[in-house]
Amino acid sequence: MGGKRLLVILLQFLSLASGAQELEKFVFSPSSSPQAQFAGYYVALEMGFYREEGLDVTIVHPFATQSVVDKVLEGECQASVLPLSLAMRTVAEKLPLVNILQTSMNSATLIISRLGNDPRSLRGAKVAGFRAGFGQLAQSFAALEKLDYQWVYTSSSSAVNLFISGAVDATLARSYDEYYKILQSGLVDPEQGIYRFEDGEYNIQQDGVWVTRDYYDSHRKQADAFARASRRGWEWAVSNPKMALDVVMRYVKRDRVASNRTLQWLMLREVLRLQLDHESGLREFRLRPDMVQKADEMLLLSGRTGRHVTWEELVP
Amino acid sequence: MKQLFASFRRSFSARLSLWVVLFAALVFLVSLVYSSFVARRYVQKEAVLRASQVLENSVLRLANILEDVQLSADYLEWLVYRHLDEPDLMLEYSRNTVLGTPSLNGCSVSFEPDFFPGRHYFSAYSGYKDDVMQSVQEGSEDYQYFYLDWYLQPKLLNQPCWTEPYSDWESDDAADLQTEMQVSYCKPLTVADGRYIGCISLDISLKWLSETLSSVKPYPNSYSILVSRGGTFLVHPDPERLFYETIFTQGLLEPVSDQTILGKSMQAQETGMQSLTIGNERSYVFYTPVKTTGWSMAIVCPESDIFGGLDRFRWVVAGIGLLGLLLLFFTCFRVVGRSVKPLRELAVQAEDIASGHFDTALPEVTRSDELGTLSRSFAHMQTSLVSYMDELTRTTASRVRIEGELQIAREIQKGMVPRVFPPFPGRKDIDLFASIDPAKEVGGDLYDYFIQKDSLYFCIGDVSGKGIPASLFMAVARTLFRVLGQQQLPAADMARQINETLSEGNDQLMFVTMFIGIVNLKTGSLDFCNCGHNPPVIFPEKGRARFLDCKPNAAIGAVPGYVYEGESIASVKGTPLFLYTDGLNEAENRAQAQFGEDRLLSTLNSHPFDGAEAVVERMGRAVAAHVGDNERSDDMTMLCLAVS
Repeated sequence: MGGKRLLVILLQFLSLASGAQELEKFVFSPSSSPQAQFAGYYVALEMGFYREEGLDVTIVHPFATQSVVDKVLEGECQASVLPLSLAMRTVAEKLPLVNILQTSMNSATLIISRLGNDPRSLRGAKVAGFRAGFGQLAQSFAALEKLDYQWVYTSSSSAVNLFISGAVDATLARSYDEYYKILQSGLVDPEQGIYRFEDGEYNIQQDGVWVTRDYYDSHRKQADAFARASRRGWEWAVSNPKMALDVVMRYVKRDRVASNRTLQWLMLREVLRLQLDHESGLREFRLRPDMVQKADEMLLLSGRTGRHVTWEELVP
Repeated sequence: MKQLFASFRRSFSARLSLWVVLFAALVFLVSLVYSSFVARRYVQKEAVLRASQVLENSVLRLANILEDVQLSADYLEWLVYRHLDEPDLMLEYSRNTVLGTPSLNGCSVSFEPDFFPGRHYFSAYSGYKDDVMQSVQEGSEDYQYFYLDWYLQPKLLNQPCWTEPYSDWESDDAADLQTEMQVSYCKPLTVADGRYIGCISLDISLKWLSETLSSVKPYPNSYSILVSRGGTFLVHPDPERLFYETIFTQGLLEPVSDQTILGKSMQAQETGMQSLTIGNERSYVFYTPVKTTGWSMAIVCPESDIFGGLDRFRWVVAGIGLLGLLLLFFTCFRVVGRSVKPLRELAVQAEDIASGHFDTALPEVTRSDELGTLSRSFAHMQTSLVSYMDELTRTTASRVRIEGELQIAREIQKGMVPRVFPPFPGRKDIDLFASIDPAKEVGGDLYDYFIQKDSLYFCIGDVSGKGIPASLFMAVARTLFRVLGQQQLPAADMARQINETLSEGNDQLMFVTMFIGIVNLKTGSLDFCNCGHNPPVIFPEKGRARFLDCKPNAAIGAVPGYVYEGESIASVKGTPLFLYTDGLNEAENRAQAQFGEDRLLSTLNSHPFDGAEAVVERMGRAVAAHVGDNERSDDMTMLCLAVS
């Protein structure tokens, strides 16, 4: 047992021992089944960072076809991970949301062509997209570029399987998740037939932690505490990626997710890379106004939203 | 270790044994390698045959399972189409299909949303949960089946298909989100206008499939793998890899791995065999496609399984061989050691004899082989050696004695010729110097001189032969010269009388060449007789040195009664004479070139006359320079005389 692991256990013990104070119940819902995309939150929970902030956090993962937005709207969780575009569409159409922690500073969205040609040349192609979670931005992109994609809405794992079976011509993917699953099938060249939003004008930051405006106004202290502890969790994962991976794998195995350590390691590495701002090279953990504005324009122009959503609406 | 090597070097039996063992080891090794190579090829052929048969059987078994599923699907499809207007029967049909097809884990008949009026979700599912058959209508806000791959794939492809492995879940059991992994055979349901209305899906548990196909293996540690179109392990003995990894997962971190190459071949639906490293073990992988599914099945046979028996056999043979070689070494060492034991004893005795103990007793030898012959030869050699050493001792003693006598004779002979120079210190008118250098202890050359009244008598001679006889002859000749000189006889008479004396009873036919001269010191006249000797060289007052013209006459002692003719020169004052024996002009160097008369004259002419001693010494140096390190073979005598 390494020294660091011993330290982790000691910290957990101390956090439990000091838990005499009353802890606030807090349900957090990631956007999909357990994976390294949420490593920082698992670490914060395992290391007792949430307890130190006075929170009794429960992490509840959604079903494959379940919309995490619905869970927020229905009050099944206090906070959830949402991509910026989905959050903005929700704000525009349903309910005000507040970003309490922006983890991703870049877009992870990719479109992968099955035959290796440029996805932007596949007009009218059948493209697998995700019904739950992110995908709004890709749909806006396709609309703006007049690609006339026939979107096949499905779940993440089903999208990969449809891609492998040849049922679709291309698929939406995240650079840390479906991309590696597809590479793992041995069917595609890792460098060809891929459009990376991050590299072009559509680089819009993605994952962030969102709560409803109502909740934030009434539970600002708890929301801020959750954000602080989550940020600590991510920073710890940056410093201790191998140990963070161990934590992730415990969740993956507990829920019997069809994944493996190699995939999760690649995912963690990519997620941590996406947290670095291209301009500053730092983990800023903030929502960028320019990206909000760009996303707003895309969503509005493609008809995904009916009104402008401003940066000020989204931040505390 | 050094001592061990040293003892090996010293011991003939050890070295011979070692060479024998090394040679035997080489033969054994070559045999072992060759036999292993041949055996390995046979074992490999056998393994290929065996694994191929097992693989073929497994694929056939899998094909039967899949065919059963497809037939059930066809029948279910027929039922569904036949009773599309009776949706409530679908649940029963799915239940009967699962019950009637042992390989199935579940079955669903699912329709597009709102296909049946008032029923947005319609998925009639029957399947086993905890070994209990359950039939339920599925579909809800949380479980929208029409977004899942097993439903979308037949819809998009518009043909029956096998899905990639996936895990389904049940909406009413949040704690057990993921159920076991499965693959499904899906058939699209369409109506007359081609519109997609739903699909039927027949599920096979991959856990069951893996257990079923893993049960047959050609070797104890071999195992089957089945990979899907996307490389996912559908059958694999490692639960960590089964369903969760693909054959290319390793390649994500190591782009070019053996497993990736294998995966590409399997994915390309090829049939073949590859030798590759899986984990840390070298294995043979036999693979072949599973038709209509895009899957590929393989049997992995670790080399240790295939060649384990052969390797064990090889180690046993190697062990026996090693033991045999050790026994061979010790046997050889003992046998050879015993055989060469007499040699060792002989060596000790030889050393004893060599150290001077010639009477050392040799052992009795009864052997009739080479060693017996050697021992007898050695005994004979010892006898001969003893005899020779006795003879040598005697000869050496005799030689020492003779050498002593010769030394005495040499001293006597040296005493017979005058050796004090200047010979006549009171007389300034005579400059005489002579030297004699015998080739052996004693020689046959002579010179002499004396003054009788007003005359200087001198002579130089060379006796035939060398050694003791010559020295004795020389002594007699010199004595006669002295005796006859006292009688003041002319040179020719002296020669005649000496000749008569020496030739008498000269059975050995010895002789002496002589030059006899008498110088009247008052007048300077020279009376001389050359008795077969080299003519002297004369230094005229003016001009170059030249040989004196004189009658040769016969050598003394050779011809009894010979009449010698004398000659004379009016005056030799200021005309030095140089007399010598043939040991000077015939002195040879290593190239056998003689000093010669020309070189003799040129040496004398090389310098003006500067005294008798200087001339003799200069000539001596010239001869020595010519001869170099060659051994002289004749006595050499010189005499130089100048009268003023």
